[in-house]
Amino acid sequence: MRRRSLILAGLAAAAAVVSAQKPEDDAILLAMREEMARAKTLRLQGVNDQLYYIEYGLDSLHSFDATASLGALIRVDENRARVPRVQVRVGSPEFDNSNYVYTDLFGAARAGGGVPLDDDLTVLRRYFWLATDRVFKGSVEAIARKRAALRNLTQQEKLNDFAAAKPTQLYQSTVKPEIKAEEWKKLARDLSSVMTAFPRVTGSSVDFEAGYGTSYFVNSEGSEYRYPDNLFYVRARASAQADNGMAVRDAAMVVARSLDKLPPESELRKAVEQMGRNVTALLDAPVGDDYSGPMLFEGIAAPQLFAHLLASNMGLTRQPVNEPGRNFPVPQSELEGRKGSRVLPEWMDVTDDPVREEWNGQQLQGTFPVDMDGVVPQPLKVVNAGTLENFLLTRLPVRGFEGSNGRARLPGNFGAKAAVFSNLFVTAKQTVPAADLKKKLIEMIGQRGKPFGILVRKLDFPASGSIDELQRQGMAAGQRGGSSRPAALPVLIYHVYPDGREELIRGVRFRGLNARSLRDIISAGAGEQALHYAGNGSPLPMMGQGGHVALHSVVAPAVLFEDLELEKRQEDWPKLPVVPPPALTSSVK
Amino acid sequence: MLDILSEELDRNYKALQGKGDPAPYYLAYAVSEVDAAAVTASQGALLSSSARRSRTIDVTIRVGNPKVDNYHSVRGEMAQFTAGVPLALDDSPDAIKRTLWRETDRCYRLAAERLITIKTSKEVKVAEKEQSDDFSDAPPLTARETPGAQDFERKDWEKRARKLSEALAGRPSILSSSVSAMGGREVKYFVASNGARLMHGRPTSRVMLSAQAKSDDGMDVATFDSFDANNAKNLPKEGKLKDAVEKLGKDVEALRVAQVVEPYVGPAILSGRAAGVFFHEIFGHRIEGHRLKDESDGQTFAKSIGARVLPDFLSVIFDPTLKQSAGEDLNGWYQYDDEGVAARRVPVVEGGVLKTFLMSRTPIPNIPVSNGHGRRQPGNEVVARQSNLLVEASKTVSEKELREMLIAELKKQNKQYGYYFQEITGGFTNTSRRGIQAFKVIPLVVYRIHVDGREELVRGADIVGTPLASFAKIIAAGDKLEVFNGYCGAESGSVPVSAISPALLVSELEIQKKESSRERPPLLPAPAGSSTLSASPNDGGVN
Repeated sequence: MRRRSLILAGLAAAAAVVSAQKPEDDAILLAMREEMARAKTLRLQGVNDQLYYIEYGLDSLHSFDATASLGALIRVDENRARVPRVQVRVGSPEFDNSNYVYTDLFGAARAGGGVPLDDDLTVLRRYFWLATDRVFKGSVEAIARKRAALRNLTQQEKLNDFAAAKPTQLYQSTVKPEIKAEEWKKLARDLSSVMTAFPRVTGSSVDFEAGYGTSYFVNSEGSEYRYPDNLFYVRARASAQADNGMAVRDAAMVVARSLDKLPPESELRKAVEQMGRNVTALLDAPVGDDYSGPMLFEGIAAPQLFAHLLASNMGLTRQPVNEPGRNFPVPQSELEGRKGSRVLPEWMDVTDDPVREEWNGQQLQGTFPVDMDGVVPQPLKVVNAGTLENFLLTRLPVRGFEGSNGRARLPGNFGAKAAVFSNLFVTAKQTVPAADLKKKLIEMIGQRGKPFGILVRKLDFPASGSIDELQRQGMAAGQRGGSSRPAALPVLIYHVYPDGREELIRGVRFRGLNARSLRDIISAGAGEQALHYAGNGSPLPMMGQGGHVALHSVVAPAVLFEDLELEKRQEDWPKLPVVPPPALTSSVK
Repeated sequence: MLDILSEELDRNYKALQGKGDPAPYYLAYAVSEVDAAAVTASQGALLSSSARRSRTIDVTIRVGNPKVDNYHSVRGEMAQFTAGVPLALDDSPDAIKRTLWRETDRCYRLAAERLITIKTSKEVKVAEKEQSDDFSDAPPLTARETPGAQDFERKDWEKRARKLSEALAGRPSILSSSVSAMGGREVKYFVASNGARLMHGRPTSRVMLSAQAKSDDGMDVATFDSFDANNAKNLPKEGKLKDAVEKLGKDVEALRVAQVVEPYVGPAILSGRAAGVFFHEIFGHRIEGHRLKDESDGQTFAKSIGARVLPDFLSVIFDPTLKQSAGEDLNGWYQYDDEGVAARRVPVVEGGVLKTFLMSRTPIPNIPVSNGHGRRQPGNEVVARQSNLLVEASKTVSEKELREMLIAELKKQNKQYGYYFQEITGGFTNTSRRGIQAFKVIPLVVYRIHVDGREELVRGADIVGTPLASFAKIIAAGDKLEVFNGYCGAESGSVPVSAISPALLVSELEIQKKESSRERPPLLPAPAGSSTLSASPNDGGVN
């Protein structure tokens, strides 16, 4: 299966000109508007549930991707695509064709392809005409089946199917794609050739991706938007096999919403070099053991930890109406039902801010002007003085909440969108100077008579391994009584001895680490670090994933935990290859 | 490239022979390097346009010995070792060798593991009926042949596809339609531990036309046409393509309002193209040699060598060395197969009598060696596949006579009408022992021929039946050969093939009414207007 181009949802270029002026010369918006006007008249004879809402979305993409290894190109891909979304709701907001286990089968999946790359109004209109017809008929069938299923079920709780929202119009000028193929191929080759200086690293690659996109939306309530939706990526990975067969890996990633915000090549080279040094050091690092005690997360590991444990739990899901006798569990947030409860120490706050553009001179990646429901988002205090106050919401009514706060940033299931965060700011009112946190860690191990404490400087987040590896990790963790939900592995993790000496270790994972663990933070450092990445709404996104992604930033201080646990990884590691690796001939050093 | 591959092959093979347990007795690297571009347009607008360059490596490693190795077929289970991973596009020894080394190691582990499993199961189970070897010897060939160039100008074809597809915009009953064109060139590199060193390949190009509509009763009707040429400059000229698009449009409009067939058993004529597809599906797949190794396969012709399987005036030949027939470029040609065996002409049926099977290097009882038909799409394991299928008739009649013979046969059988199958898009066939040994081919353009000679277009016909019965009922062949070029999908992926046949008269063919969609035609009329906007500054070009 080929990899895909990323389809972005929910970003805006900093330089875009915002205008409320309705563009009258945009073929896509015109086609959507004209077909929307006709579609509103759709009726099916002899059917009670008529249409009450239509939505057209379209992502127009032009992407370029170059992957290289050891100075040689492995894959080059330039792609243009227009990816449509068509949704029709029949019935009423109180009860419609959505939130039923087969909603997508009869609805969205029938929208099909065939959107032209040319701005040909007639052909664009033909697409929306035929797609609307198919989706409308499917939606009528879905609501009939949903009603039939409900004849034999008692619902625990009666929720509406669609929340009201104020119509919005927002238009930003689009960005003309500039594909610098030769320059970017050279960049990928040059960055990947840095790894020829690390002969013990047996697998490595560098991937450059430029994605120019424009996001379009029109709904039958009068909402319309158009804004640029760009993404630029450099991803590097490296792996090797230690003497005992254990795989060790590291990865480096930068993302930006505009090309000029990518770091210069010299800085990217340094990041790749650091990755090579890290993997080489890990090959020689001793294998760690089970541990229970104080643990310090500093540097990039702190925002990684919050992204992993907190960010993915801030949206709520809902069980769809199912066919009788069938079980279809939808994963729930770990924070579900905990509004008003303490989730962090009283001296910590968390805000999701989709409006802010910059932090500490860095471009924030999660900024977006309007969500996929056409709702304009505002900053939202999620945690106030340690207490959970708000969830991220879309137009999907969920238990205890109805009404969007504009966080529909990814396509969801059963006719809804998924609520996803933007720029997450984790702040502490009480902090100690960063250097003092390590002293505090050492004090704590002294008090508890431990030979060493644990310091974490980097997690494998987003995960850089393959899906297979992720599944195997999950299974292995489950076998030792832990949770089998995907958990981020530590990459750079150290023993800290009473004299302050640090020793890199490998081969351990966290045990029982989850959103509840965050209540046990005892101290935070002054000064924060930012993590920028592309996520897909899951607790552990993959670094090279395709499909829909949303960009995020997480800003957080270093944090010290009273008590966390590690366990030794006891997977069956493959034997070392019979044949030694081929010598590198073009090694630069 | 051959040098890089050979060096790493030798290094890995030597080391594994020395230290590997079990040791390999054969190692091969096959690299497929593809440069391809494709465009699609509909109703005058571009739908897609892309160009791609890729290199894929397939590793074949055999451990044990040729009698029993890791590929040994156990109860129909197909062994899969290769993963078809991407290889560096630059001729860089560092990057290429690292990938080869990792893939060799991965395949070796899987191979060693499977051999141990097989040996255990062989000891437990009663010896299987079939006792042929797992791998046959083949001479180590060496050749470095640079494949012909491909002249496919993507930008030109974008314009051409837009223009051609526009012709269908004026036919309101066509719901969707497209014109696609692609041009590519594949270079294959093959090195093996027996000393084989090959570089060869070929260009391919294709134009595809399609149109779909919906009858008022909800049945979907479609027409399809395609043109293949090795080099894009040999594709039909604009005028001919334009005519083909016009015909396609007319055909689908006529089909939309055509009569629906009723289930029927009786005489029919298959056009040369239709007969080619019929033979490919129903006969060709059953003489792919590896099926005789598979216990779960129906093995229609297992004991038929030397026996009559077709009427005595028919012969069937597979000839991958043939580049053209009836004035058309053929799709199923190659110089060497994917196991490094030279392509050759293989008469499979002579005068109605089955002579042999299509063979890869996997032997079957009584046929110990390959005849150059081991093929695959990169990323799959090789099995025996078809190439250019030729149906030859020793006695033929003119088209007119064939028609007269049909009418005579109708009268004899006391039928009011028979059928003429002009275009067949493809089909599927079940050769497995589970399920029914049956086939189905999907005709696109079918006429009902009345005893008085009247022709009438019909829709909704599927040809069904059981293979052995169908062949016995071929009673005459036309005198004009027609070519069907296409891509065949089976166990080892998609491979280019051709079928060349004269028209055939069959005394009895079974026709089934196609399952029909219940969905009504669109509720709203098509959007009015055909205005085209001028190019917007923010996205791709428009004329």
